[in-house]
Amino acid sequence: MSFAAIRDKVRAAEPLSLEDGVALYEHPNFMEVGALANEVRERLHGDRTFFNRNMHINATNVCEASCMFCSFARLKVGDADAYTMTHEEAFGRLRARLAAKDEITEIHIVNGLHPGLPFDYYTELLAGLKRIQPSIHLKAFTAVEIFYFAKKFGMPVADVLAQLRAAGLDSLPGGGAEIFAPRVRKKICDDKCTGDEWLDVHRTAHRMGLRSNCTMLYGTIETLEERVDHMLRLRALQDETGGFQTFIPLAFHPDNNALMKLPGPTGTEDLRTYAVARLMLHNIPHIKAYWIMLGVKTAQTALWFGADDLDGTVQEERIYHMAGAETPQVMSPAEIVRIIRNAGRMPVERDTLYNVLAEGAALASDKPYRRDVRRSLEVVS
Amino acid sequence: MSAPATEDSRPAVAAPESLASLDLFALGRRAAAARDARWGGRGFFVRTRAEDAGTIVPFPFKLGEDDAERLARLAEIAAAASPPWGIMPAPVGEPFGLDTLRCFALCRLALPRVAHVLADVTTLGPRLAQMTFGFGADELYAPIVAERALRLGANSNNPALTRKEAITLLRGAGLSPCERMADGSLQEVAP
Repeated sequence: MSFAAIRDKVRAAEPLSLEDGVALYEHPNFMEVGALANEVRERLHGDRTFFNRNMHINATNVCEASCMFCSFARLKVGDADAYTMTHEEAFGRLRARLAAKDEITEIHIVNGLHPGLPFDYYTELLAGLKRIQPSIHLKAFTAVEIFYFAKKFGMPVADVLAQLRAAGLDSLPGGGAEIFAPRVRKKICDDKCTGDEWLDVHRTAHRMGLRSNCTMLYGTIETLEERVDHMLRLRALQDETGGFQTFIPLAFHPDNNALMKLPGPTGTEDLRTYAVARLMLHNIPHIKAYWIMLGVKTAQTALWFGADDLDGTVQEERIYHMAGAETPQVMSPAEIVRIIRNAGRMPVERDTLYNVLAEGAALASDKPYRRDVRRSLEVVS
Repeated sequence: MSAPATEDSRPAVAAPESLASLDLFALGRRAAAARDARWGGRGFFVRTRAEDAGTIVPFPFKLGEDDAERLARLAEIAAAASPPWGIMPAPVGEPFGLDTLRCFALCRLALPRVAHVLADVTTLGPRLAQMTFGFGADELYAPIVAERALRLGANSNNPALTRKEAITLLRGAGLSPCERMADGSLQEVAP
């Protein structure tokens, strides 16, 4: 399939095939692929570029899984650098942000697969955070964690989700998808749930009315066909449920892990992956350039290669920093606004579900601004 | 390696009149076309720069300048009686991504008599440096080493690249890698 033919399909809003996706990856000119992805991005969102105010809690890095790409996990309690937060430690992090008048709207919670924690550790974690700030949105536990809870505590996935939801769970993050191809999973994350099991957790969540995000880890040992196949499987589930909000390509970071001999993706490979994702995933509304992992410069550039979201202010991100990420661990809303505006885009503060909280005049300068939460009416999807 | 190539002396495409009005992709396309018209899709790297190598002029730029300001400064360089061999955009402070790419394209298009636009890995980092090749850069400026230490801890900003990494970086940007030898000759890297 020629690039011109693919462009015609994109402009006619026809879904692209596996062969089309591979052809886009192999096209010699990454700028042409980027320009086409930018057409779709601007058709969907114009110049609008989304961010939120959030914080991360990684409550434990003790993990039964031994994924080769991971620099975060410590396999056993007592290993050097292994930690597990008490509830009070986790609650203290939220209280500190609130005491600093930081108007966060979301807590992103992702953890290792700790073999010794009871289920009520997790339910109480959610419930306690909600007691402190009832309006906070809890985006918590990857599908890998949910599946682990189901097996470990002997419950169906739907029951796990129902109990977590009753404790305060609002949506699921997209992590743990890695690459769905069994060949790759067998080599890099053999003791994690399968691709089908990952998809099934999200299917169940969507049917219960929960929204979620989805990801793809690229730059390890996968082929281009396996990347595109991964996207197509996400697209198929989205056709079925419509529950995905955002796709987040995650670049492999090669430091401090068992795959450190691999080079990791380059800058143009990052941009091309964002562009291919925007073109393949026509039914997923948003593509997020996760600045903490991608680096601010590349994330900003990705806003012209298909991405329309920069994630949030973040604080205390550990997973990518233990893999050698050189980004800061927090950006102020004013800094994010400045980065978006410098890219020639229009910043829009959102909440987790893409309700618009502030845009336009409210974000017209680099000075701190106050959101008008009463404007939380428009859902962008 | 295949047979040595020679420096191409064809003139670059003349600068368009109103570069500042072009959007990112239009600017990038023109800059890359100007580079390719001159260098035929080649991207250069150097292990040992020749002692009599031409002058490389840094072009400082910082966030907040607009295209018109940069074009005015570039016009001064363009008007010099003896233009430099190469220009190397040099961010003042931490570079922003798109601002940097735009600046590279302006350098390529506004300086038709300057043969080379160099991407400095030390100031840009390898990711952003690679992206500049979509915006008119033609030469990678980085220490080329036999073996690179992992970018960890105090070494996290190490700009060095191995020869293989430099070749991968240029190929990933869609260019044919070409090594500039110590005697000034050029060697195309075999596919």
